[in-house]
Amino acid sequence: MGSIKFNHVYKNYRGESRPAVNDFHLTIEEGEFLVLVGPSGCGKSTTLRMLAGLEEISSGELYIDDKFVNYVSPKDRDIAMVFQNYALYPNLSVYENIALGLKLRKTAKFDIELRVNRVAKVLEISHLLDRKPSQLSGGQKQRVALGRAIAREPQVFLMDEPLSNLDAKLRAQTRAELIKLQADLKRTTVYVTHDQVEAMTMGTRIVVMKDGVIQQVAAPRELYDKPANLFVAGFIGSPQMNFIEGVVTLEEGRYYFTNKRLKLLLPREYDVQFERLTRSVRNVIMGVRPEHVLLKPGEADGEEYVAGVVQMTEVTGADSYVYAAIGDYKVIARTEPEISYRKDDVPAIGFNKGKLHFFDVTTGESLAAGGTEA
Amino acid sequence: MIRKLRRVTPFQVVLVTAFTALAAFMSIPIIFILNHAFKPQSELFLFPPRIFVQDPSFRNFEILLLHASNAAVPFTRYLFNSIVVVGLTLVGVIVVSTMAAYVIAKYRFHFKGLIMGMITLSLMFAPETVSIPRYLIISGLHINDTYFGHILPALASPVAVFMLIGFISQIPNELLEAAKIDGASQLGIFTKMVLPLSIPAIATISILTFQGAWGDVEPSTLFMQSETMRTLAFYVNSLISGLQNSVAGQNMAAAAGLLMFIPNLIIFLLFQKRVMETMVHSGIK
Repeated sequence: MGSIKFNHVYKNYRGESRPAVNDFHLTIEEGEFLVLVGPSGCGKSTTLRMLAGLEEISSGELYIDDKFVNYVSPKDRDIAMVFQNYALYPNLSVYENIALGLKLRKTAKFDIELRVNRVAKVLEISHLLDRKPSQLSGGQKQRVALGRAIAREPQVFLMDEPLSNLDAKLRAQTRAELIKLQADLKRTTVYVTHDQVEAMTMGTRIVVMKDGVIQQVAAPRELYDKPANLFVAGFIGSPQMNFIEGVVTLEEGRYYFTNKRLKLLLPREYDVQFERLTRSVRNVIMGVRPEHVLLKPGEADGEEYVAGVVQMTEVTGADSYVYAAIGDYKVIARTEPEISYRKDDVPAIGFNKGKLHFFDVTTGESLAAGGTEA
Repeated sequence: MIRKLRRVTPFQVVLVTAFTALAAFMSIPIIFILNHAFKPQSELFLFPPRIFVQDPSFRNFEILLLHASNAAVPFTRYLFNSIVVVGLTLVGVIVVSTMAAYVIAKYRFHFKGLIMGMITLSLMFAPETVSIPRYLIISGLHINDTYFGHILPALASPVAVFMLIGFISQIPNELLEAAKIDGASQLGIFTKMVLPLSIPAIATISILTFQGAWGDVEPSTLFMQSETMRTLAFYVNSLISGLQNSVAGQNMAAAAGLLMFIPNLIIFLLFQKRVMETMVHSGIK
C-alpha cells in the first residue's frame, strides 16, 4: 500500500535544453514522509506533479504500488494533493469541498456524511462546514484543503508547499499538526518545500534537489551531519555553513589545512579522506557549521586560535550569531547570548576539529563521501 | 477612525457631482422613451418639445395593437418568434462561447495562436461586411426560412469568446487540477467548476447577446422569406420606417419603441444584479 518507485525519470520541456527533472531515481517506502527540498526552479514541484499525473513523464517509469502508472490519469492513481494556494472550490461550501471527491467516486451518501464529519472533527473545522471558502481565514482554508485530501483516504498524499501561505506562527503550529497527522494516518506522504526547516523537522527522509538533479537523499540528521556536497552543506542549516578555501598539506605524516591565515593540524580521523586525493596540490574547501566555530575573548595563539574581527552580531534570543572576518575569510559563529561581542572586537577564533567537512574545490563533492578522485 | 473615513475631500465632491451629472445625462433617452410612449397625439407634436408627459394615456398602445391585429401576421407571432430566437441564441452563444473560451484559455494545442488571431480579427469586421457571406452560407445550408437561419449567424460571437477567455484564464489552474485529482471528468470540470466560476462573465455576455439578438433585423430581412418567420424587431422596424414622414403613426412608433426597450431593461437589471452578486461573493481575487 502506497510505495512509489521512480525509475530514471526525466522531464523535458520543449525549447529548453536542460531537463527540468534529470534522472530522478528513487524508491519511496510505504508510510514514509518524504520531503523534496531545493531552491525554486530545482524541479521538485515538477517531480510531484509527475507523480500526481498532472505533468507528463518525458522518459523513465513511475510505479505506485508496483503498478506502472505513467499513463494512468490522476483520478485513478489513488492520490490526493494539497496545493500551495489550497485550490478550494470557491463556489462550493466547505462540506461540499471535502465531499466532492467522494461524491465523484460514487460513495454512498451516508458514508460521505460520516467521513466528512469525522475528518472535520479531527481537523476542528466542524463549525465551518456550511461556509464558503471566501469566508475562511488562511489557516482554516489550509485545514479544509487538508480535509479534502484526508477524506478520500488515498494511498499517497502529495503536498506542494502547503504551509508557505501561512504566517510564521501558524506555520509552526500547522507543521506540528501535520507531523502528528501523518504519524496517525501512516500514509505515504510526499511533501515539497523550499524551506529547509520544514524539511528537517517533517521528513523521515529528505531529497535535496538542484537544477533537476538529486543532490542527496538522507534522513535529516545524516543530511545535516554528512552533507554529500557543497550545495547540500550550504542549503541545509541556518545560518549556513561557513566555507573556507585552503590547501591540505602533509608534514611529517600529519595533515594540515592551511591558507593565508590558518594552519590547522587535523585529527587523524580525516586522514583517510585525504589519502584518496592523489593530486599534488590538494585544494579543498573546509566547511564548518556556526555552532562549531569557537570564539573566546583574548589573544590568539596563532595555531589553534586565530585573531578575527567582529563585523556584526545578531541576537535571536536563544542564540546569538557573530559575523567575523579572519583576514579575507568570513565566518559566522554561534555563541552563548550571555557573552556579547561588539563590532571591531578582536576575539580568538577556533574550530571544533571533530566537526569539519572537506569538499573538493572543482567538483564540490564531499571528501567524506569518498571516491571523488580516482 | 470612522470619522476619518467619512471625511469628504474636495476631489470626491467634484467626482460625485460630475458622475451624477453624467448619469443624469445618460438617463435622458430612457426617461424620454418612457414618457413619449404615454403622450397623447397632441403632446407628441408640441413645440418646444417636452420631455415629461402631461396627460398620460394608454391610447398609443391601443392604436398599436389595433394596427397589429389588422396585419397579415398577428403581433403575437412576431413576439413568439422573437422569444424563440432570442432564447435559443442566448443558450447557444453561452454554450459555444464558454466551451471555446475554456479550451483556448486552459489547454495547449496546435494552431491555438492562429485560432485566437482569427477570433481577434473577426472582432474588427462591421456586421454589414459579413452580410453577404452569411447569406451565402445560410442559403447554401438551406436553412433560410427556419429558426436556424436566425440563430446560426449569432452563434459565433467573438466578443463573447474574447471576454470569456480573459475571465476563464484567471481561474487558477490548481483549482482545475484539484478537481481532476478528485476524480472529475473533463465535462465535470467544465460544468461544475468553470461554468459556475464564470457566471459574472456569462451574465455580461448574456446582456450583450440579448440586446444584439433582440434588436437584430438582419436575419429577418435577408434570410427569411415568409412573414411568419420574422421577428418583432423587424415588425417594429418596418412600422417605424414606414411611418417616417407620416404624422398619423407617430403614436404607434412611440409605443412600439417602449415595447422594444423594456425587455432590454429587464434583462439588464436582472443580470446586472447577478454580476454584482457574483463579483462580491465569488471569493476569487
